[in-house]
Amino acid sequence: MLEAVPWARLAYLRPACVVPQPAPAVRAPAAARKHLPLSPSLPLATAYSVSESSGHKYYLQFTTEDYKTGENAGSCLATVLYSKTKSSPVVNIKCVHTKDQKQIQEEDNRLYQKLRHQTKPIIGNNIPDSYGNIEPALEPAWALAVAGSSYIMWEKSTENLGYFMAQVKSVKQWIRKDDFIEFDYTVLLHEIPTQEIISCHMRLTWLPGHPLKVKYFCASENQGLEDGSGVESGSAAGILYERGANF
Amino acid sequence: MISYKVLIPDVQELVDQSMPRERSSHRQVPEGYVYTQYHPMEEIYQWMTQIQKSNSELVTQHYLGKTIENRTMYYLQISQPSDKTKKIIWMDCGIHAREWISPAFCQWFVKEILQNYKSDPKISRFLQNLDLYVLPVLNIDGYIYSWEKDRLWRKNRSPHMNGTCYGTDLNRNFNSSWGSIGVSYNCSSEIFCGSGPESEPETRAVAQFIERKKSDILCYLTIHSYGQYILTPYGSTTKPPSNSEELMHVAEEAAAALMGKYGTSYKVGSTSLILYSNSGSSRDWAHMIGIPFSYTFELRDKGTHGFVLPPDQIQPTCEETTLAVTTIIDYVDQKYFPAGAVMLTSSSLGLSLCLIVVLTWTIS
Repeated sequence: MLEAVPWARLAYLRPACVVPQPAPAVRAPAAARKHLPLSPSLPLATAYSVSESSGHKYYLQFTTEDYKTGENAGSCLATVLYSKTKSSPVVNIKCVHTKDQKQIQEEDNRLYQKLRHQTKPIIGNNIPDSYGNIEPALEPAWALAVAGSSYIMWEKSTENLGYFMAQVKSVKQWIRKDDFIEFDYTVLLHEIPTQEIISCHMRLTWLPGHPLKVKYFCASENQGLEDGSGVESGSAAGILYERGANF
Repeated sequence: MISYKVLIPDVQELVDQSMPRERSSHRQVPEGYVYTQYHPMEEIYQWMTQIQKSNSELVTQHYLGKTIENRTMYYLQISQPSDKTKKIIWMDCGIHAREWISPAFCQWFVKEILQNYKSDPKISRFLQNLDLYVLPVLNIDGYIYSWEKDRLWRKNRSPHMNGTCYGTDLNRNFNSSWGSIGVSYNCSSEIFCGSGPESEPETRAVAQFIERKKSDILCYLTIHSYGQYILTPYGSTTKPPSNSEELMHVAEEAAAALMGKYGTSYKVGSTSLILYSNSGSSRDWAHMIGIPFSYTFELRDKGTHGFVLPPDQIQPTCEETTLAVTTIIDYVDQKYFPAGAVMLTSSSLGLSLCLIVVLTWTIS
């Protein structure tokens, strides 16, 4: 299970003391995802940071809980170093899980079975809908989106920017001949503290026991003139979240 | 015979899937009003009218101002008839359009007060001294827009740049270190602070009213989502407010009361320290003009559903938050209207004088 990219929600964490920066707390729990089951978990943390010549180093201790049930899923200790020179932080993390390997594997398999054995491919929009409802039939697809989004949020978050998955705008399953499951998603990420809603197109493939494979492209909002280049938004993959203002 | 091919068998289905479902309207009487569902603005307007009608001895609806799209802003005043002059508790909801649980909470809270003011000793006590002013939806245009066009809309709907860009973040638009930190000067940003402090009619409507009444307002509450926080001033600076200790203490009591209901945990602290820096917030402004107790609530959840909180969480969220809010109101009430102080009305004054005379006479 350690290999399959499990999910740890990137909570907007405010450590109890010193330089309260949400984002590093965000990235460290994401690293925890390597150690936790696919069924999503939520980190709750305390942290402190130290300014060193090499950059800002954050010391985090946090617990995780199941995204849906809220039950405790484990705890982790981590350090995250945002270096002045490197673009991505250096993360060291060690976790202890409440569930054992077998339980984790079983849960992953249950999720997999729900997603794999469909009479027709799963297709949906607006999950949850405007009122916050998730159709039971779409819940497994939503859970998978949470897992995949955590990877995107992991890559995008910085010392000053954090994310939550706000909504799944669309999901479409691709049936494959092999045992892998494959999904196309448009997910909306809520960015903090800018408050922006970022639309990302995500293609996800998974088989329990294998790492979750995530390919994604996020449209950038408010780009102004740079947008014209087509390098970023050339294809249908760049499904821009429609801002009513411009239409 | 023209040959044809059906490309999409049911276009209506696709359209329906992409737009919010048609909702059955509810009877707009408080008894039939469903507080555990989200309501569009039209229904909230009707609810306000009904609430006043069915509770006319306590509730009056008042005009506050107009939105940029010319809709009327109303607040509800809950005031127990009395010859005393009361102090005021102000609460507004829905300053950010997508935070639907917030207006839902204001409606719930009003309902709770009206249902329990006779039977609940805490409520009846504070209503003797305090009037509650509740603005169920501050950003009406934005709220409607989030129902009809864009569920995750945040700002109001003021047009900029010749109508090519819309919306000011109303919670960056107040005159509290306006434009200094945690904002954007670009209309396309979600935290666009507007063309100047109080540039927006919605901001002005609230600010002018509160400014006029500020000597009577003891507490300013503004309700948002999500994150599960009770935030104290300031967002624009880390320098603590003058009554920071007391503000924190009361907020902690409120969070504890909230947690007692379902175990939901809220973090408490100054915005700039536990969240992020931002200027132009209504909470900061209220405190800066002298309102001693000023709080932002960020309701459920912590990001699992975020803005699209499922309706089955409306009730528990509202119940626990009501406990927190009444804790704060209670504290304010006890502080400014302490129990045991002899209230000298003309009759009791006469009685006291009479007793003093009798006693003096007895002793001498």
